[in-house]
Amino acid sequence: MVVFGLCALLLPVFVNNNYLMQVFFRIVLFAALGLAWNLVGGYAGQLSLGHVAFFGVGAYGLAICAAHGVPKWIAFVLAPLFATLFAAIIGKIAFRLRGPYFTLSTIASAEVLRLAAANWPLAGGAIGLSAPVLFSLGSFWKSFYYSAVVLAIVAFMVNLWTSRSRFGYYLLAIREDEDTASAVGIDTANYKLRALLLSAFLTALGGALYASAFQYIVPDSALTIEISVQIAIITMLGGAGTLIGPIVGAVLLLGAQELFKTKFQESHLLIYGILIVVVVLFLPEGLVGGFEHRSRGKKQPAQAAAAQGGR
Amino acid sequence: MSAILELKGVSKRFGGLTAVKNVSFTLNQGEILFIIGPNGAGKTTVFNLISGFFHPDEGAIVLNGRNISRLPPQDTARLGIGRTFQIVKPLASLTVLENVMLGAFMHTSSLRQAQEEAEKILDFLQMRQIEKSQARGLPLAMLKRLEIARALATKPKLILLDEVVSGLTTSEALALAELVRRLPEWGVSVVGGVEHVMQVVMKIADRVVVLDYGAKIAEGLPAEVVKNPAVIEAYLGAKYKELAR
Repeated sequence: MVVFGLCALLLPVFVNNNYLMQVFFRIVLFAALGLAWNLVGGYAGQLSLGHVAFFGVGAYGLAICAAHGVPKWIAFVLAPLFATLFAAIIGKIAFRLRGPYFTLSTIASAEVLRLAAANWPLAGGAIGLSAPVLFSLGSFWKSFYYSAVVLAIVAFMVNLWTSRSRFGYYLLAIREDEDTASAVGIDTANYKLRALLLSAFLTALGGALYASAFQYIVPDSALTIEISVQIAIITMLGGAGTLIGPIVGAVLLLGAQELFKTKFQESHLLIYGILIVVVVLFLPEGLVGGFEHRSRGKKQPAQAAAAQGGR
Repeated sequence: MSAILELKGVSKRFGGLTAVKNVSFTLNQGEILFIIGPNGAGKTTVFNLISGFFHPDEGAIVLNGRNISRLPPQDTARLGIGRTFQIVKPLASLTVLENVMLGAFMHTSSLRQAQEEAEKILDFLQMRQIEKSQARGLPLAMLKRLEIARALATKPKLILLDEVVSGLTTSEALALAELVRRLPEWGVSVVGGVEHVMQVVMKIADRVVVLDYGAKIAEGLPAEVVKNPAVIEAYLGAKYKELAR
């Protein structure tokens, strides 16, 4: 993990290509989004395909506030708070449902937001809105890259704390069996909601960074379901409920996407699809999850980790 | 002896079916009470009512003087009702130790303390050797014990054991019954439910309540109840009632 971090921090020293820096920004941003999603989709096992709603509220929140004269850094803090509030409302409703019904309700909530943004003059409608540039010093993409790294580190620390706390164990219990969880006194609705609020806050920070980096947002860029799916697939591919799964997933999936795009043009989507099918079929717990599972039998399992307060 | 749990005229209907009909009984401190009855008699429904997974249509369930009829499961658990599930519900991808720690987390947020508590309980249930195994793939006898261990870790006042020995071999069932008999040492009262493993009931129950078609048809000491004509009829049919006389 430390190696990952050092590589991420030193990378810009060796890269002086703006396009590449933008690619790296996206990879690290999506690693952070995957880590944020991991709290809900990984630890708590609630398959949300509506996280673009929080991403979008972060992006639009920044743009709308800034358009109304709010200083950009205050807008950058306000936007995730809006998203958290939105998550509280959605969570209260959606967490009454279990399994696929929960997933469908998350998709629905995000689609409602997309349609609202597309038709609401304040949000610019289909024409969209411009977002303020947060960083104006030094190299544009390098500063955004570093801001994404910071967000990823924060999201990672939240995951690390979760995996070593009662909170995290409670989420795992909810994922494994909600009836058992409530039989040991866990208020399942409450803990799912807490996970969602944390996740929504981090996701919205990512959305605000995204809006600021590309300086312009439309409903089809900041509220498209593709982002929800991308976040979920990255995490599941790397290993939902693991600490480094989302990072591995983002590097592999977005990296592969970039490579295939230049090599195979349009057919890169086909390869992308096949890759996902292969992982789902052969490593349903994700790359990191599958690997851990295999080494678990031979080595010390979670007991030793529990003794040191880890997993 | 003082009553810890009291059911007062409890009924539960599912559509047109009355699963539990006007059932009353009390459980005393430190007692092992078994609810027996043929398949479909309403035992599991009674457990679901006591633990808050269902709420009664009529009557009241009182725990230590407090009406808990309408509380959700997480609240009854916090008030001291531990339960096991007839169809075992382990947290499959977690280890045995972690499963039990989840019970212990009710009283501590420290991982270390939860682990110490869990280890004590696993010692008692003779499961320390498998504490690092994933719950997924354990044999049924161990999963049944794991259910008890997890419930015991919440430091309950009473434990509901739904079909705790069903599906076990006779020797496994007797070994588990011996552990259940010792549960009162932990300050826990027990309400067990079994369909037909009378060997276990006779051995460890202080008192027995018999349900048939959702209604209580008999209550008393195990040795009395098995001779009760109504009980024999419920299990074996009217013909055998005559023969038993």
